[in-house]
Amino acid sequence: MSDSQSESMPILDFLVDRMEVGIFGVDREMRIVLWNHFMAMHSGRSPKEVIGRNLFECFPELPAKWLEKKIRSVFVLKNYSFTSWEQRPYLFRFFHNRPVTGGVEAMQQSCTFLPVKNAKEEVEHVCVTLFDYTDTAIFQRRLTDAIEQLHQEKLEQQRLIIQLQEAQEALQKLASSDGLTGLANRRIFDRTLITEWNRSIRYSQPLSLLMIDVDFFKRYNDHYGHQKGDACLQFVATAMSGEPQMRTMDLVARYGGEEFAVILPSTDQEGSAVVGERIRIAIESLDLPHTYSEAAKYVTVSIGSATIMPAPSINSAQLVAAADAALYRAKREGRNRVVATTVE
Amino acid sequence: MLTQDQKEALQEIANIGMGQAGASIAEVLDHFVLLSIPRILFLQPEDIAGALLLTVGEENVSAVRQAFHSSMRGEAIVIFGEQRCNDLADLMGYEKDLDHAAELELLLDISNILVGACLSGIAEQLRENIGFSAPSLMADHMSVQHLFSVKDISWHNALLVEVNFRLEQRSFACHLVILLAETEIAAMAKAIDRFLDSMQ
Repeated sequence: MSDSQSESMPILDFLVDRMEVGIFGVDREMRIVLWNHFMAMHSGRSPKEVIGRNLFECFPELPAKWLEKKIRSVFVLKNYSFTSWEQRPYLFRFFHNRPVTGGVEAMQQSCTFLPVKNAKEEVEHVCVTLFDYTDTAIFQRRLTDAIEQLHQEKLEQQRLIIQLQEAQEALQKLASSDGLTGLANRRIFDRTLITEWNRSIRYSQPLSLLMIDVDFFKRYNDHYGHQKGDACLQFVATAMSGEPQMRTMDLVARYGGEEFAVILPSTDQEGSAVVGERIRIAIESLDLPHTYSEAAKYVTVSIGSATIMPAPSINSAQLVAAADAALYRAKREGRNRVVATTVE
Repeated sequence: MLTQDQKEALQEIANIGMGQAGASIAEVLDHFVLLSIPRILFLQPEDIAGALLLTVGEENVSAVRQAFHSSMRGEAIVIFGEQRCNDLADLMGYEKDLDHAAELELLLDISNILVGACLSGIAEQLRENIGFSAPSLMADHMSVQHLFSVKDISWHNALLVEVNFRLEQRSFACHLVILLAETEIAAMAKAIDRFLDSMQ
């Protein structure tokens, strides 16, 4: 040790004793050789009580097996060793100075174990510095809690978004389907007709439309009652949409009252007439008694089919009008039949 | 970089250093320790992952980093396999069942011992004083490829010292990587030269 250091020893002694850091030392027999003011203050044991005594006899609550191993490794390896509050919150169970706001049970400590070598480079003592990390631990805990809370809020938000999406989908379905038959409603029919109209122009494909009307439906209602009338419409709707030749791009809709419509993209007059005829047969095959019909003894439909090559110079209303006209002809010609036309 | 003579000397220094390290580790653990002859490689940071993949394999790794300072500064990284060092718990004074915190503390403890012993062993040969900062966890079960995301490493040269530790009746292996900045390689070369001069 140099002279200048010897001269400053009183200051060093003072610092070691009074620093706001725990400092203690042990010899090879684990006897305490140094015990500073911080250690005395927090343990309630003065240096007089502990110096010269075995560390683990003085503090039986210490994890002796592990700690002795640790201290011994410093003697052997002549190397620093460490503990961190993150893995081991404390070595000594000290109270901390934030008893109210803390939220942690004891002073959180990080320790460094230093080999103290003599002139012959032998380790005679191991000195331990003990730092109070309580504030850090509290902030860390708050941060962890805040992150966890954010995470939970995010999960809750995601749950709400999924619920909202589900509600929106349900609402969408409700808004786009007909309450009685479950078929697409008039709003969707109008929208789809425009979409298909424009698509047909782009791809130069024909577009066909079926208008379907239940024959003598007013009389059916009048004689069988509205509940039977509703049931009849449901049967007709199910039979139409259940037709196996119906493609996914085809749209079956309830146009209004007892009138239904089918949009058939990329379909010419011949194809449209085939679909119409199948639907007519399907309804006939339901064999729903209709004593008051002049067309048959069961429920039948009249179908008007119109086909058009959509072009920018004309509009979709012409197709609807043509299908309506064909339907009118089917009615006039005796009902329970398909009349197919093409708009030139 | 180092000359061929310096590289050979470094290998020799590492051999002796590891021998001493093995003896001290055995004393701490009360078990006979077998150390492989250290394999020394100079690598660019981007090559480390590939080199480790060859020796560690595809399994997930845990890693501890620790800074050291002597006439050269650097970082030592200890990489453990899937089993980490749980098999050594009782030798370090832990009870049988380790909780997560104890498992990590053991990992840091063992790393500190290995880094301390190995680097002190080398430093002693080079007559260097060496100090260490506290070890910290770098990876907790992570694939080797992600361990060294190159953008996080400012080191230009890595000195990879690969050492396998084996204990009687216990399987345990780890890899020690020493990272040195390019500027520190010169200090290393100077220290090796001093060592060579003292031999003559």
